[in-house]
Amino acid sequence: MLVLSRRRDESIVIGEDIQITVVDIRGDKVRIGIDAPTTICVHRKELREAIRRENEQAKAMQELPNYVTPAATVSVPKRHFG
Amino acid sequence: MSAWPKMAKSQEALATRDEPMHVQTTRFGTVEVGNDRLLDFPAGLLGFSSYTRFALLQPDEDGIFYWLQSVDSPELAFVVTDPARWCDEYEATVRREHMDVLDLDAVGDARVFVIVNKYDETLTANLQGPLVVNLRNRRGMQIVLSDQRWTTRWEIARVQQPVPLECVSA
Repeated sequence: MLVLSRRRDESIVIGEDIQITVVDIRGDKVRIGIDAPTTICVHRKELREAIRRENEQAKAMQELPNYVTPAATVSVPKRHFG
Repeated sequence: MSAWPKMAKSQEALATRDEPMHVQTTRFGTVEVGNDRLLDFPAGLLGFSSYTRFALLQPDEDGIFYWLQSVDSPELAFVVTDPARWCDEYEATVRREHMDVLDLDAVGDARVFVIVNKYDETLTANLQGPLVVNLRNRRGMQIVLSDQRWTTRWEIARVQQPVPLECVSA
C-alpha cells in the first residue's frame, strides 16, 4: 500500500480522473473528499464488506422455509416449477 | 416497485424461438429455463464476481420468493424477493453509473429485488445491497446503497415452526 501524509486541504491524485482531498481533520476523524467520474462507485469499505458477507451467508439456503409474517400466516409450498 | 411481471406476449414469442436452456442445479436437479428468465450480471455479485449468468426460478404462483440460480455453478443459488412487498417506504436509488452499466434508459425499465437470508428463526432481506435488473436486456447488477435507513439484515418474516406429525409420549 502506498502511504502518504497529507495536511488539511491537501490532495492526492489517482490516475487521470480521481482526486482525494483532506477536507477536515477533527480529533481522530478525517473528512475525505472524493472527486471521481460517476462511472466509479465510491463507498465506505465496511459497507461493501457487509454486503459481501451477507451474500456468502445467503448462498447456504437450501430450501424455502415455511414462514409467517407479522400480519398474516402464509406458508410457502415446497418447490416445484411451473 | 411491483413484483416481477408476467412476460408480455411478444417476449414469450422470443423465448420460444430459441431452445430453452437446461440448467444444472444441486437443489432442483436439471431445470429447463426459457431465455426470458436468463439474466446476465456482468460484474457478478459482491464476492462472486466471476459468476455472471443466472436463471430466475419461480417456485410457485404466489411469486413471493424466487431463486436466483447460477447457470455456471450448480451449488450457487440465492433466494430473492421483491423488497416493496416487505418495506413500503423502500427506495433503491439507481445512480447514473448504474444506469450506464445496465444500459438503462428509464428507471421504469428496472426491477429491484433483494437477497434473503435466514438467521435462527428470522428471515432477513439485504436492503443495503439490492439487485437491479434491466428488463429490456436482462442485465443486472448488485448495487451498494449508502442510505443509512436500510440495513443488510432487514427482518421480513419469522420461520414457521414445523408441526410434529405425531405426539411422542415421554
